Amino acid sequence: MKKFTHFLTVAVLVVAVLAATFVSPLAKPAPVAHAQEGLTICFAFQDLETEFWVAGHRAITETLADLGVDVIEVNGNQDANRQLEQVRDCIAQGVDGIIMIPQDGESAVTIIGEANDNDVPIAVFNRPPSDDNPNNALVIVADNEIIAQKAVEFMAQRAMRQIETSGEKIVPLILVGDLGDPNAVGRRDGFYNVIEKYPDLFETPIEVATEWDAATALANLEAALQGNPDINFIFTSSDFLYPTIRSVLEPMGKWVPAGQPGHVILGGLDGDATACSLMKDGYVDATGVQDLFFEAQATMDALLQAINDENYQPNELIPDPGFALTLGTLDFEEMDMWGCVLFSEGFLDQ
Amino acid sequence: MATVEKFSGVEPKMSGQRGLIKRPGSGQGTHQLLRRLLFSEYFILYISIAYFLILAIFKPALYQPANLSNMLANAWPLFAIATGQTFVLLIGGIDLSQTSVMAMTSVAGAVVMVESASATVLERSPLWGHLLTEEGGILAGSSFAVAAAVMVMLLIGMFIGLLNGLAVARFNMPAFMVTLVSMTFFSAVAIYLTQSENIRGIPETFLKMGNGDMISLYVGEKASKITRRDILSFITYPALLSMALGFVGHIVLTRTVLGRQIYAVGANRAAAAVSGVPVKRVIILVFMISGFCAAVASILYTARLEAGRPTLGENLLLDVVGAAVIGGTSLFGGKGKIHWTFMGVLFFVLLSNSLNLLNLSAFYIDMVKGAIILLAALTDVTRTRLLAREA
Repeated sequence: MKKFTHFLTVAVLVVAVLAATFVSPLAKPAPVAHAQEGLTICFAFQDLETEFWVAGHRAITETLADLGVDVIEVNGNQDANRQLEQVRDCIAQGVDGIIMIPQDGESAVTIIGEANDNDVPIAVFNRPPSDDNPNNALVIVADNEIIAQKAVEFMAQRAMRQIETSGEKIVPLILVGDLGDPNAVGRRDGFYNVIEKYPDLFETPIEVATEWDAATALANLEAALQGNPDINFIFTSSDFLYPTIRSVLEPMGKWVPAGQPGHVILGGLDGDATACSLMKDGYVDATGVQDLFFEAQATMDALLQAINDENYQPNELIPDPGFALTLGTLDFEEMDMWGCVLFSEGFLDQ
Repeated sequence: MATVEKFSGVEPKMSGQRGLIKRPGSGQGTHQLLRRLLFSEYFILYISIAYFLILAIFKPALYQPANLSNMLANAWPLFAIATGQTFVLLIGGIDLSQTSVMAMTSVAGAVVMVESASATVLERSPLWGHLLTEEGGILAGSSFAVAAAVMVMLLIGMFIGLLNGLAVARFNMPAFMVTLVSMTFFSAVAIYLTQSENIRGIPETFLKMGNGDMISLYVGEKASKITRRDILSFITYPALLSMALGFVGHIVLTRTVLGRQIYAVGANRAAAAVSGVPVKRVIILVFMISGFCAAVASILYTARLEAGRPTLGENLLLDVVGAAVIGGTSLFGGKGKIHWTFMGVLFFVLLSNSLNLLNLSAFYIDMVKGAIILLAALTDVTRTRLLAREA
């Protein structure tokens, strides 16, 4: 008991010190050390596991640096609670604004609410909050449904040519992302819009869950292809899964460039460097492209505008219309795709 | 009571080995003071305070009221789960399944109480159409939905603890292996049940348990309008829940027969058995307590993140075990206290917070955090050796 009393005494002293800081004049919020333009932005991202997020991180930090804005970077490492704590830490530091790539749509809602409560404008980059979000944020997001639709439409045109020679309906497969992420839902919807448009062309699609995880995708895709060896049309909801698809198709003799017998019509969405490389080699027929550079610039512009206007709870959806890069447009549109820009800079050689 | 007396003689050695050491003399010199600090059982607290004070010189944001309020908010859920881990460590075990208890209970609680659910997101779940519909969970809209959900969460936590305890006590299986398996199994079950999706629509009453304030503070000059960001949480529901849990844990360990038996089992299981301690029952109870504490933490984190999450806490294990061990609880059993764990939690929270404030590149933060934890652990080991020599 004596030790516990000792502990309590120490604890009381600590609380007293903390309490003193609460009332001390020293405790008045100190201005954050500002850069030339006097702004500090917190950039909270969830990980840098895929090319898209690496490129997005680079685009945002470089754009902010060019503007002379101080950036506080925090990495949630795929942990929603950690990201929430990091954003709270940023707010406690008195940042002027927050840019967030959330772990998922649900945690986005919670963190946006935290920013709203504290009157800090927040922009959500490329992973929107879930549909029931009651809070206010700048949401920069690709129109996933339309972009996916554009890519799958091109794939469907290729499939029509194939059915003319084989006479057999196409067996499509979609690698679905984490359906808690509205991006994944939009991409799936875009895929189905095209499939349902051509009922005479396609068999019932096979869905493979990936949860945005390569290992999960690998296991489920292997099982799907063993159960349905006739699959000849694959759409991946994200380009980062191409290596996974290759590792499954290659041993089965199905990793064949377009124009050769046995080619599986292949497409995806994101527009990363791997997709660019595979399109150049003819393995991928089409990919939906998010205009990453537009998204990064639009995020900056909208957030800085809100800060200047002292609009603490800006609420706007900024869509990225995107486009589809296909084997038909590759030659003259490739440098519009961020992945091809990275590819040309030797990104895949690093 | 007789049992209490039987163990009262050995308790100081087991529970507070540091209490046995020969204290340095009452010299006034700096050397003596440093020795006293180094050998104190509050060493990690002193380290934390020193770290805080030194860093505060360079980073004034550290002692801003908003940041202090933040740190406390982050400490409470971690303290709840680390309290349970402390019990298991005291018997020389470890409970790796606490994170899966959090995931399972988070999902189960949500399934009981959510007020709506999205078919687009959850229709692939095996629960869809049975326990979960667009109208919400089993008790959606009911006035006792939240109470029932909390009960279900706590019961599931204790049930998983019971299974772990039975495997360790009855079949003599190593706690590490048993809880590793149950961590894998129950995490997978939680993911399967929701197909890895989060369940939103948690009732407002439940959310208060993770975010609600009882007493808030405003620090600043008189103003006609006070913005929300200037109002700081001070006494919160998570703080009360977590402190109550820690206090009960402290009382159990220091004031009850079970507490004495836990220390006895951790110090020497065979000797405890010979002395009449119901070792198997103690082990089972300890794992159930651990599951209960993990379920309480799950309540706090679920409310805080406003969703039932099948991956809740999956990255938390290092912080939980680390907080308990850095606080001074021995991985070999028989030594540890709840308030030591609280100090360890404070250290962890301060460390994470300060690394965020230092604005290190995100690529370096985990490396620095790992290095500091290693340094703290090495310092603790060195101290323990010195203490043993002195004794």
